[in-house]
This record gives sequence, structure tokens and C-alpha cells, in this order.
Amino acid sequence: MEYTIDELMAVTMARLIKDGDVVFHGVASPLPMVAARLAKLTHAPNSIYFAGTGGGMNPEPPFMATMTQDAVLFEGAEAILTVDYIFNLAARGEMDVMFFSGGQIDKYGNLNNTLIGSIDDIKVKLPGGAGGANLSCEVNKFIIWTTRHRKRVSSSGREIYTLVEKVDFITSTGFYEGGDSRERLGIHGGGPYKTVTELGVFGFDEETKIMKLETIHPDVTVDDIIENTMFKPIIPDDVEVTAPPTEDELEILREKVDPTGVRKVEFPKDELKRKFEL
Amino acid sequence: MGIYPEPNKLMALEEAAELVKDGDIVAFGGALSVREPIAFIRELIRQGVKNLHTVGTAHGFDIDLAVGGGIVGVVQNTYVGFEFDFGLAPNFRRAVEQGKVVSKEDGCNSLIYGLRAAALGVPFLPHLNFETSDIMKLHPEFKKFKCPITGQTLIAIPALEPDVAILHARLADKKGNAVIAKPYVADILMARASKKTIITAEKVVDKLGKEPHIPYFEVAAVVEVPFGAHPTALYPDYTYDKDHIAEYIRLSRSPETFREYLDKYVYGPESHEEYLKLIDTEKLKNWKTW
Repeated sequence: MEYTIDELMAVTMARLIKDGDVVFHGVASPLPMVAARLAKLTHAPNSIYFAGTGGGMNPEPPFMATMTQDAVLFEGAEAILTVDYIFNLAARGEMDVMFFSGGQIDKYGNLNNTLIGSIDDIKVKLPGGAGGANLSCEVNKFIIWTTRHRKRVSSSGREIYTLVEKVDFITSTGFYEGGDSRERLGIHGGGPYKTVTELGVFGFDEETKIMKLETIHPDVTVDDIIENTMFKPIIPDDVEVTAPPTEDELEILREKVDPTGVRKVEFPKDELKRKFEL
Repeated sequence: MGIYPEPNKLMALEEAAELVKDGDIVAFGGALSVREPIAFIRELIRQGVKNLHTVGTAHGFDIDLAVGGGIVGVVQNTYVGFEFDFGLAPNFRRAVEQGKVVSKEDGCNSLIYGLRAAALGVPFLPHLNFETSDIMKLHPEFKKFKCPITGQTLIAIPALEPDVAILHARLADKKGNAVIAKPYVADILMARASKKTIITAEKVVDKLGKEPHIPYFEVAAVVEVPFGAHPTALYPDYTYDKDHIAEYIRLSRSPETFREYLDKYVYGPESHEEYLKLIDTEKLKNWKTW
């Protein structure tokens, strides 16, 4: 049996959700959407899932949508809540898991969804961080994901990294300047928990709060990680390969959660050619 | 919030749009791809109102069209884009990068606190500290202070009172009682926080006969516009029009090509009825059988 990178990422992200967790994701979040549903149908049946700002709670959609306000995300929902209600949960410290991505992600897990350049000289206006600026300082933990870890070359020949030394703009706060800088300022919430990319999985070093490589995907080497990451991640001696999905997980993912393959829209086409043997 | 006791507020789209003035802070209801008051925004563009300051959470087509139509000066929405279907918002992005529109990007919760403070009639609400976010740099009006009760650092979010909220409803009566439709997003809060609310509705009846989400006394004007959210969705009546949005994105590549879009869909049709002749409304109604 074979599986693909989108399936590996969806399963890896789902496994970070514990049974009973309150889980939320924002806009433009196909992988988190799929991961949250998959967790509920496998190891975390008692997790409470808020499907984006549309406010559908514990929906049972027959398939997933690329737009997070799509009516399919209300199918079978136990409640439809207003956006302010969901944010109240987070402010009270009752949101366990949130998923964030970023146009730029730095070594401390700070995220930039706002602009490339500077406030006074905006080169690219990104769509915006939506709830991230506030929620990253409220939720118990957040999971960072990106499908664009691999560096690429711009039309002017410049190398573009997603995992950068320093973000141009902090939209969502990770471990800020590292060490205890986040805690010292009295920022609530536990900060970033893991970073899941199309190349591997990182945690954060307990002391320095710098991203620390945990596992690499089956066709990836530690050198690939180093080459595609602008900052120097902490790399322990014993880096394992990311655990593969089980047959059960794959079947539920493919048939019940995401039969139309919405999870794939996040990936550059070449990435989807990556296949692994189970 | 103003109080509007009049029994009949039904008016034409043109008349209602005149209630929006240059420089107004406006809150468009709905979000991203659903229930945005797009027919109303087309009328605002035709009337040529200037320098609107938009507030809201994650939005898409409404803000990009309003920016492309030249009626916006400041955008305080927390996200403007088309998610994974169509990506970045072309007119919004271009206008901000060229300095023609100021992006005062906000966070969803801080934006909500601003509206909530206005709804409560208090000058500010305390928000948990997020001073580490550079969003603070775009908002000098957010003030850091020490909590008099616990001593912790908090952020004061000043009341944000829109001059007008424009909400698209599924059903309304002439008085202004309105039933919106899920997802509700921030519509109810917007009505509570704003000086006045304009309701555009798919259908307007004499008497609602059921419990409204928006009570009439918050509402200054009611307009009947079937398919008034097009090309965004109004569930369960119709879904968003992917073909139309694809054409929009294609024509938004430059200001010159965007002029073609405006001529065809905004300035061209003589009336909303004429606009609807350009749209395959039957297909959008039958979305459940796709």
C-alpha cells in the first residue's frame, strides 16, 4: 500500500490532537480541517471541533471544502456559533489546539501573515493573520504547518525561504525572542507546540525555544532540512523518520473525511508526486 | 447604536446607499465567500462615495471589489483574500502595495473587542496582552496598561463604532426586523455596535412573523435585493459563484482590465434586475445537486 505526502501531513497533524481537546482553525486551512476531522473519527472522538469562523461545531461533512465558510461545514453540526463566542473560549484559556501557518515562520515560531518588506515599504501585502495576533497569545498551544518549507527561487533569482531567521513582521507570536521572553511579558497561552512541514516535524528546545528537528519524512535527509531552512535548527543525533499512517487512518481519511482530496490544494504540484511504501 | 422607531423603512437601493457618506466607518456583514452585501457595494461604487474605512473579520470579495471600485481609504479587516480557491485579493493587494489604500490590519479578537466596547457603551475593553505582535504598530490607539485589579499587563482596545453596518439578510420586514442566515459571523455584533444598520434582504415582507436576529429599531433602511450577496453565497438559497469569481480574478490582473469588469457588472447594468440577467441564478440555486 502506498501513501502520499498530503496524507502523511494530515495524519501527523491529526495525531497532535488529544482526545477531549477543543480544536479550532481559521481561514485558508484545508490540512487543519482534515486533521481535526480525522482525529475525531480515529483516536480523539471526544475532541470538540470548531470548523473555522463559520462557527459549525462538530460538523459531519460528507466531504471537505476549500472555502472555510462553505455550507458543507455546517452539515450535521451540533451548533452554529457566532465568531465572538469562539474567541471568548480562547480568551478564557479553554481553546486547546489552534493551527496557524505563515508566509514566513522564524526559528522561535513567530509567524508573518501580514506583509513582506516593512510597514513603510510594503513589497507584498499578504492576506492577513485573521485571528492569529490575538489567539497566539491565548490558546493553550498552537501547531504550525506549512507545505512550502522547500526554498524556491524568485523571478529575480533570489532564494525565498518560508522558514526564515527573522520574520519581516510578527503577526502571531511564537516564542518571541526566545528563552523566557514570551513568559516574561506575561503573554498567555503555551505558544507553538510543533511545526509540521512537507519535509519533517519540529518541536521547540525547552531552554532556547529554537525549533528542534524531531522527525524527517521518509524521502528526506537531515541535509535537506538544513538546506531548506534559513536559520540553524537544533538537530539532535537521533532524528527518526516520521511514523507512517496506519491502514485504518488512510482508509478513514480517503473515504470518510476527505474523499475529494481538498487536502491536496495546499501543495505545489511536484510535492504530490512523492509516494511512500507502507 | 441609534434608535429607529419608524414603521416603514423600505427604500430603493439608490436611496439607501445615499445614507453612506464619504469617510464613514463601514462594517460589511458576512465573511469571506458568504453573505456579503455585494449589490449594495456595487451601488456605492456607482455613487462614487470616497474614503470609506472598512472594519470586519476575515473577508474577501466585498473588500476587494470596494477597493477596486475606488471607494475605500482604510481597510481594518483582519484578512482579505480568497483562500485556496483563488488566493490573494488582487485589487486590495495592489492598492496597499502602491500606498493608495492604508491597511490597518487588525486581529479578530481585538476587532471584536472594539465593536463590543461600542455595543456596551464603554470607552474601551481590556484585552489579554499581545504587545509582542506587530499588529500593535498598526494601531497606536491600542494602549498598554496595568490592570488595577491584578497588576498584569493588558491592552485597552478603544470602542470602534461604525457609522453604518450593512448586512445582507435572508428575510426582513418593512420595519427592519431581519433574519440573517448561517454563518452569522459578526453580523449581530456589528448591528449592536454601529450608529445605524442598513439591511439588504433577499425578500421583504409586511410582517416578519418570526423572531429576528436583528430587531427593527437598530435598522435605518431596508432594501429588497434578490441574489443581493452574489457572487458570494447565501445558504441555503444559493452558493457562491465560482465561475464569476474566476472571471473577476482574471480581470483584476491590472487596473485597466478591472475597468472591463466594472463596466460589465457595476456600471453597465441599468438596474439590479439587469445585473441578474448576466448571472446563471438557476445553477446557483441548485447547488445541492451539483
